[in-house]
Amino acid sequence: MSEGYRAGIDIGGTFTDLVLLEEATGRQVIGKILTTPEDPSEAVEKGLIELLEGEGVTASRLKTIIHGTTLVTNALIERKGARTALLTTEGFRDAVAIGTEHRYDMYDIFIEKPEPLVPRSLRYGVRERVFDDGSVALELDEEQVRQIIAELRERGVQAVAVSFLHSFRNPTHEQRVAEILAEEAPDITVSLSSEVAPEIREYERTSTTLANVYVRPLVERYLLVLKERLGRLGFGGSLYIMLSDGGTASVETACEFPIRLLESGPAAGALATAFYGRKSGFREALSFDMGGTTAKACLIEGGEPLTSSEFEVARIYRFKKGSGLPIKTPVIEMIEIGAGGGSIARIGPLGLLKVGPESAGAEPGPACYGRGGSEPTVTDADLALGYLDPNFFLGGRMRLDREAALRAIEEKVARPLDLDPAEAAWGIHQVVNENMANAARVHAIERGKDPRAYPLFTFGGAGPVHAYGVARALGAPGFIAPLGAGATSAFGFLCAPLSFEFVRSLYGQLGELDWEQVNGVLEELEGEGRNLLHASGVAEPDIRVRRLCDMRYTGQGHEVTVEVPDGRLSSRDTGRLRELYRKEYRRLYQREGPDVPLEAMTWRLEVTAPRPDIQLGGKGDSSSLAQAQKGTRKIYIPERGGFREVPVYDRYRLVPGMVIEGPAVVEERESTVVIGESGRADIDAARNLIARWS
Amino acid sequence: MSEMRRLDPILLEVLWNRLISVVEEQARALMRTSFTSVVREAGDLSAGVFDRRGRMVAQAVTGTPGHVNAMATSVHHFLREIPAENLQEGDALVTNNPWQASGHLNDFTVITPIFRDGALIAYFGNCCHALDVGGRGLGADARQVYEEGLFVPVTHLFRCGEPNEELFRLIRANVRAPFEVIGDLYAQAGSNDLGGARLLEMVEEFNLGDIEALSEEVCSRSESAMREAIQALPDGVYENEAYTDGFDQPIKLVVSIHVEGDEMHVDYSGSSPQSERGINVVLNYTAAYTTFGVKCAISPEVPNNAGSFRPLHVSAPEGCILNARHPAPVGARHIIGHFLPGVIHGALARAAPEKVLAEGSDSLWNTQITGYKKDGEPFTYVFFSGGGMGARPTEDGLSATAFPSGIRGVPAEVIENISPVIMHRRELRPDSEGPGRYRGGFGQEMEIGVRGDSGWNLSAMYDRTRFPARGMRGGLPGAVGSVRTASGEPLHPKRQQRIAGGERVVLSLPGGGGYGSPLERDPELVARDVDDGLVSVERAREVYGVVLKEGGHPGTFIVDVEASTHLREDMKPASGA
Repeated sequence: MSEGYRAGIDIGGTFTDLVLLEEATGRQVIGKILTTPEDPSEAVEKGLIELLEGEGVTASRLKTIIHGTTLVTNALIERKGARTALLTTEGFRDAVAIGTEHRYDMYDIFIEKPEPLVPRSLRYGVRERVFDDGSVALELDEEQVRQIIAELRERGVQAVAVSFLHSFRNPTHEQRVAEILAEEAPDITVSLSSEVAPEIREYERTSTTLANVYVRPLVERYLLVLKERLGRLGFGGSLYIMLSDGGTASVETACEFPIRLLESGPAAGALATAFYGRKSGFREALSFDMGGTTAKACLIEGGEPLTSSEFEVARIYRFKKGSGLPIKTPVIEMIEIGAGGGSIARIGPLGLLKVGPESAGAEPGPACYGRGGSEPTVTDADLALGYLDPNFFLGGRMRLDREAALRAIEEKVARPLDLDPAEAAWGIHQVVNENMANAARVHAIERGKDPRAYPLFTFGGAGPVHAYGVARALGAPGFIAPLGAGATSAFGFLCAPLSFEFVRSLYGQLGELDWEQVNGVLEELEGEGRNLLHASGVAEPDIRVRRLCDMRYTGQGHEVTVEVPDGRLSSRDTGRLRELYRKEYRRLYQREGPDVPLEAMTWRLEVTAPRPDIQLGGKGDSSSLAQAQKGTRKIYIPERGGFREVPVYDRYRLVPGMVIEGPAVVEERESTVVIGESGRADIDAARNLIARWS
Repeated sequence: MSEMRRLDPILLEVLWNRLISVVEEQARALMRTSFTSVVREAGDLSAGVFDRRGRMVAQAVTGTPGHVNAMATSVHHFLREIPAENLQEGDALVTNNPWQASGHLNDFTVITPIFRDGALIAYFGNCCHALDVGGRGLGADARQVYEEGLFVPVTHLFRCGEPNEELFRLIRANVRAPFEVIGDLYAQAGSNDLGGARLLEMVEEFNLGDIEALSEEVCSRSESAMREAIQALPDGVYENEAYTDGFDQPIKLVVSIHVEGDEMHVDYSGSSPQSERGINVVLNYTAAYTTFGVKCAISPEVPNNAGSFRPLHVSAPEGCILNARHPAPVGARHIIGHFLPGVIHGALARAAPEKVLAEGSDSLWNTQITGYKKDGEPFTYVFFSGGGMGARPTEDGLSATAFPSGIRGVPAEVIENISPVIMHRRELRPDSEGPGRYRGGFGQEMEIGVRGDSGWNLSAMYDRTRFPARGMRGGLPGAVGSVRTASGEPLHPKRQQRIAGGERVVLSLPGGGGYGSPLERDPELVARDVDDGLVSVERAREVYGVVLKEGGHPGTFIVDVEASTHLREDMKPASGA
């Protein structure tokens, strides 16, 4: 592979993080810049220029960019997508409103259900009908479709989801509607349920398709502009988009299926945690990512994050499962709460201090940003407590106004509660820590795990500032902050191997399958996958292929996934497949099922490039701890009830083997680690800072 | 006792939640390995873990109150029939005795003892709906339980890991869908095994020995929380009565709730005597829905287990519809049982109006269809549907949502995939909501048929076709339900009926009652329902006092504020305020 650079870019609600990786040496350079909500690609361009100029290299040496964004999630939470209509089989326009008819909390009579993304008046029933075997019971009424399209144009609809019954078995009616739309209203974006989520169950499939097309114009516009900007910089390499399950996709695929980008930034953070874990020998951890707007926690077990095949976005009732929109797409499982540096502190109706989930975001931002924000935020509190240095935020590129922070805290929190500003600031810091610890605890406990058993792996701009408090509140044994913790998610994009997954439905009883057809499908998918990886410069012998089949006992409704043996398959393999299935079934459910035939439902194929080998550690430029100390500063020590002078260390001068006694502050450009009074931190071989306490 | 001290509050929280995640996994495994849509899609099941003494410690939130709370007492019945000392590793017991479990033969309860180093430490149990148990088929027509199908007293389903082939043969010979019924019994046994394996891992990991200390702690904390919740209600007697359609004659349900300190006694004296038809309820099932109704009004956050049941006492005179004697027919017992939480909420409205619901559709609408496929094979298919839920004190009622049952609807695609039943239409039912400041939920309307030309049997188990869901505090009643053929011929809501080939049946499910006067409803919300085609322009004016005019686009409306204000003024005295 020719020598060059790779970049990971993660757009968050407040900051855009960038990591530049020199392929030959594994050296990383990090950038962080305020997100530009109007046109997020602007911050990407600016950040990239700064990084490249700092390194003295041209954009042409950049081979690959892997990118993730919160655009999709935000649009769904804030309901800021396109004006969307739904075309569905006549008689079923309320499927998205009726949902599962289920109360997700058995005892709470006050639960709320999410409103569909499309109001009933824009949900159209179309005369057509396909049965479950794919046979057409009623031909598509094309004349009616044309009338509906005329009405959609009149009503200013920008996007249309088409979801007909049983379209995953026979998609021709949906496809025909797409053709008619292309003729009659080429400016309307369309998504077909048979392409977005070709699975049985009309509610979930329709919900996923609606969400996909609802955000599609936004994502298309954004990626188009981004490509233009990158092109202008002279970038000629491959641009990939990170998906919510940690896989990657081309820009074209991302534009078509933007719903698969849902939680890509946090997913990358989880991948990074797993990566560091493998390097540094902790295979179990709780990843804790705190940025400007939200905090996320994800359990890492056996060196891998937990995953799931569905997800709920935009939960509206106490973050409860069941109160969001169901999305059928593979994701890394995590919990997300509205707690970040920008979270606003205020006095609630009961006279208690509340922090978040409202955020000051990047505009106007915390009071200390001096951009017109007047509400006290978590960052303002951290600054008031001395945890942040007003002159070294983002390495000094952004000056913070401590006076403004204190003023906001004084006015909105301290005076109403009759506290001094330092106590009020500490209250804010503590409340947000407690909120995050509670959410992380629930996430661990819901999976039956003891949160006290896992070290916190902390990153994100605000993560290391709060890690000490959150870990203590959880009862965790310690925390780990990697070098470059301020942009770990962006780094996570680079530690994921390039990988693509393809899915094809091909149904049949195991004993009666047309194996020639199966082989044909698998070979076709494999060819497609190999081509994509070749195009990204992966050498043929390095490509790994995995083939899977979802099977079940005939009559069941859920499948078990089995890895299919290599090579061409034939009827001679049925015995082996049956054995593999029974083994996996037994492993999952303890007991075999009754003696009935097996049926194959879906075939999957994954192609994966080798995991990139990134060197960590390397040499810092310091020989003694004294040399690494860049000064002292007064920070708030709650155990002492006031401020104390503590040493401040330069993160880049800390080298393996050094030990720091708390209380202390360790600064890097994009984040700050606070080590409390009972903490003690050492630097491991990979230059991770590992804090523990007795 | 040394273990008791080790349960610090955090460890207790961890273990408790771990138990819940174990039973959730148990329930999920049952759904994922089931052979029927009733279990895997509708979630008509329960799953839970019991301590050595047979007390329920934790339950999956998946499932229905009728199963969960009825199962809570069933382990004691099993152990009375087959004592614990006769149980061995690998055993699984089963029964569908309505009086010992969940009230009709169509539910099998399976209990599995869990052993650690040869010692019995816990039981896992689950209960789910069987697609068929023979007899006349699921319905309300029978006159004795003997007609309702195969009755399996407490028996070994598996013995030392080996299937009890005699029992399986007997079942196979007696039911219409042996393949699905046997498959689900395997799934039930497997799901208990999975729960057991996870429990053993937990006991190992935390070095617990057994779960007795944990169970003690869980139950006693739940009991005191429940006592606190009862204590918060003013002492007194709260009464209510309600009517349901019955089979042919209306059935009266009478409740009196005695609150005394931290104990509550719910009594149903005065309710109708038991019916000659299969809508009778056994006391176990009456208690299950009573507990649920009380809990979701006064203590939704208190965990549901043997401890939280203790301060609550339920009684009904023997021989009344809510405490039927063997051999009364009980096939469609849910029809009456589902009314109980609504009746209880109506009674508690005087004590805690901000915590209770208006009446809703209440009874689940259960449909069983039997007939022949094109190839001449017989089929049987069951699905459940929810109407509108009653309005809440601060929110509208939820539309097409089952309450008090906890089941889910089955997707049309799944119904059509596994049976020849065709769902031609399934939409919200306009103008079915009970108007109110907060309106009741809308019912739904479905049109169903069967593929092919041959006739089929519809077994209807529907209610609220005569007595609508009443509103609360000035809220108006929801629409009653109806069932008819697409050609307009009315059908009986509770009989097995023959439907001609090619004919379709239209089910119109009831709406929920409203809460507060409809004249106080935000006019913008009324306009939105009209825009959505759910409330007619006339109804908006006549019932809500909201005058609408054409909006920007055809079919959209805006509120005529002035006209509405006048109209509402005029309507107030007329409504007798």
